Amino acid sequence: MNIEEFNNAIKSKLYGAYEIKEDVDHYGNDNSWIILHEKKDMEVIAKAVKAFKGRCVVATGYFNEADNTHTVIYHFDIDGMIINVQIDTDDKTVISITPILRSADWAERELREMYDVEPIGHPTKDRLFLDYSIAKGVLNEYISLSKMQMGVSDTDVLWNQVNKGVKA
Amino acid sequence: MSEKVEIGPFHTELEESVYFKLEVDKNRIVENVEIINGFIHRGMESLVTKKNFMQNLILTERVCSLCSNNHPMTYAMAVEQIAGIKIPLRAEALRVIADEVKRIASDMFNLSMLTHIAHTHQLMKDTMNTREHMQDLKEVIWGNRMDMSSNLLTGTKYDLDERKIKIILDTLDVVEPKIRDLQERYENDEQLKSKTVGVGVLPLKDALEIGVTGPVARGSGINNDVRVKAPYGLYAYRPEIQPNVSLSLREEGDVHARAMARFGDILEAVRIIRDVVTDMPEGDTYVDKRPHIPAGEAVVRTEAPRGELIYYLKTDGSQKPVRMRWKVPTFTNWEALKVMILGDKVDNVTMILNSIDPCISCTDR
Repeated sequence: MNIEEFNNAIKSKLYGAYEIKEDVDHYGNDNSWIILHEKKDMEVIAKAVKAFKGRCVVATGYFNEADNTHTVIYHFDIDGMIINVQIDTDDKTVISITPILRSADWAERELREMYDVEPIGHPTKDRLFLDYSIAKGVLNEYISLSKMQMGVSDTDVLWNQVNKGVKA
Repeated sequence: MSEKVEIGPFHTELEESVYFKLEVDKNRIVENVEIINGFIHRGMESLVTKKNFMQNLILTERVCSLCSNNHPMTYAMAVEQIAGIKIPLRAEALRVIADEVKRIASDMFNLSMLTHIAHTHQLMKDTMNTREHMQDLKEVIWGNRMDMSSNLLTGTKYDLDERKIKIILDTLDVVEPKIRDLQERYENDEQLKSKTVGVGVLPLKDALEIGVTGPVARGSGINNDVRVKAPYGLYAYRPEIQPNVSLSLREEGDVHARAMARFGDILEAVRIIRDVVTDMPEGDTYVDKRPHIPAGEAVVRTEAPRGELIYYLKTDGSQKPVRMRWKVPTFTNWEALKVMILGDKVDNVTMILNSIDPCISCTDR
């Protein structure tokens, strides 16, 4: 399996334009990138990965402050070959691929929780790690290191709950 | 009529904090399972963007203690990839040695916990006592029993001389027969088998769909070991040291199979360490130049004791990462718990949890 074979499987099925960057790591392992411009093409990619008996390893999201967009990168594995597929979104949504690849489940839920990017069509709405009292998209915020390390809170939520417990 | 049973977030049979909400029928069979995570969430992926590349080497070693070598090693590999640095072959060898020593100690700790939960106490004590040799070895060579601090951004901090190599080989000579004896006892011990065979089964189809890795995958007959499928470091340069995964593969997919898969991994780790230390490449242990880390991005994977560890790193030419993301094996293996636990006895839940060797600190981050 190589990136050329994968490209042959997807090129006639994609709805939009895309770029492919073939690459290898220091040790000669395939580590290629595909950049999509059409959101629903991620479903095409996921179906192709499934057809090759691959899996979603994880997805990475980050916020681009300069143009107020988010970048989402899905990292797929097909028998040891990594394919990184990138899509940018300006409306904080992507099309969920979890209905196609179950292995993307947690990755998409974490994306929603940390960056408030909604994977449309994801079967689970529950929080993954953070409590509901913490707003979605907390990693979009700037939080200083001192605040992060000291755990200083802007709110009295914690102490109100403690006081409520003491009074009870 | 179903009964609600709650385990956690703090419980004597849980290694770390996690919260199970179960519904069980009148025969104590689990009908529904809800797992709540996040009790150890520390926002580390945000924290690393506030620290410089050198500081993050220290921080990543503290994601978790049992696989503490894998995190800084994989992170260092990502930085080196972006900086275009090829580390000396001797450093690659030293990284493999540290990695495999940690694998033995980590897997043996999990086996001890399994026998502890199964109430096979003599096996537990013997496993822990055998593991102690590896802990002592870490203390002698690296000066610490958990965090070895062996990695630099351009190689390794430690080196081995003849005296230290002899200490490693002597330790392996002591440990290997003990491990083989334990392997036979785990394979045949009736009390342990009665509690682990046929328990927490993960069928091959589910294992493939969920994308499990490491001993959990190997216990269900899947070989996706990164050291073989996408070899890195010395595993890439010397294919003969790659693990023979067939020694770890099992078809049963139950708690017992996952334990025996770990024995395969441990014995191969012993073999790999011996092979590497007896044929050490000559040369430096690091590149003696402060690395310039330009703008770029890298995706790097290694095989941690629990399975595949992947790091994504994005840089912009400054001294701090723009984004750093990592996914640990438990992140995906966790979802398989729902398959393993459903339809099994509630008494087996903590044993099944232990069988994926969960690392909650790693997963929550």
